[in-house]
Amino acid sequence: MQTKAKILVLIPCYNEEANIVKTVERLRELCPEVDYLVINDCSTDRSAALLKEHGYEYLDLPVNLGIGGGIQCGYVYAAANGYDVTVQMDGDGQHDPAYLNAIVTPVLEGKLDMCIGSRFIRREGFQTSFMRRVGIRFLSGMIFLLCGRRVLDVTSGFRATGRAMTEYFARHYAADYPEPEAILAACLAGFRVGEAPVVMHERQGGVSSISSFKSVYYMIKVSLSLIIDRLSIKRVHKS
Amino acid sequence: MTDKFQAFMILGALVLLVIIFVLLKHGKMTVKYSLLWMCLSLVLLVFALFPYVVYVLRDLIDVEMPVNLVFMLMFCFVLLVLLSLSIAISQLAEKSKRLTQANAILEKRVRELEKALRQSPDEKNGPKS
Repeated sequence: MQTKAKILVLIPCYNEEANIVKTVERLRELCPEVDYLVINDCSTDRSAALLKEHGYEYLDLPVNLGIGGGIQCGYVYAAANGYDVTVQMDGDGQHDPAYLNAIVTPVLEGKLDMCIGSRFIRREGFQTSFMRRVGIRFLSGMIFLLCGRRVLDVTSGFRATGRAMTEYFARHYAADYPEPEAILAACLAGFRVGEAPVVMHERQGGVSSISSFKSVYYMIKVSLSLIIDRLSIKRVHKS
Repeated sequence: MTDKFQAFMILGALVLLVIIFVLLKHGKMTVKYSLLWMCLSLVLLVFALFPYVVYVLRDLIDVEMPVNLVFMLMFCFVLLVLLSLSIAISQLAEKSKRLTQANAILEKRVRELEKALRQSPDEKNGPKS
């Protein structure tokens, strides 16, 4: 990794007291040269106290915005502070900082505007449950139909974005379950989106933001949002 | 339409109109959002004062009972008001999201400035003394 490049890792954190310290410590240990920023989305547990106690870099949202608004806040911060690459990484230990290089390099080299860490390219590590894979396959197909780009791991929240992409996300970012929508919006706006193989772990504690009960709502909401995005975002072709 | 019913309609429309004006006067509602309500109450008032209008409208679109036409129109109006409220809420949500984000980023800056201040008073005062 070039030493000149400024890299910021965004770590969304909502009630992650069980994982957040481990996640940040591991990141600092493996990638001491990158900056990080934990975004505490108004957690109701001890997350905020832990962040303060350890003296970590963090943003403290005064009201709960949900993952979309929280991460967007990180993109606004990154855009304002001139970071070359902004990485989004979950705070629950699913994403391994060891693979940070793998997703940052294509963006740094200028090959991609957004590089998504995908667990389905090499099919190693934790592959999530069967039902979720069906859902992910469906959304992946839908994005392919709507913009002609094949992305396998559409719900992966482990992704690196270049400067222009970061600035775009600082202006427009989906609200509730933003990962698939962000891919479609980026493709339609003419950014180059691609994937790099990574290995993910099962979350180490706490509860996922998408419970099984909510998954039907999730699928309907995301599908509808994708169609609306396709209708509302003007297609840009960058040569 | 009986006289009693007509009087009741006029009274109802007037009360609605007065409520809207009182709310406006006390600043509980902005003019922007009062316009739709004002339209609704004015149309109701016209219907109540001149039922002939309703009869003409009824003949135009073949509704059996004139009163059903009034109900239908009112329902459409209420739908419009609800839609406008949903739009307003969405805009407010977007604005409050932006404010929250700006606030969080400022809070981090303040925190860092305070930290820097706490660490450096000696350096600042040092050269003077």
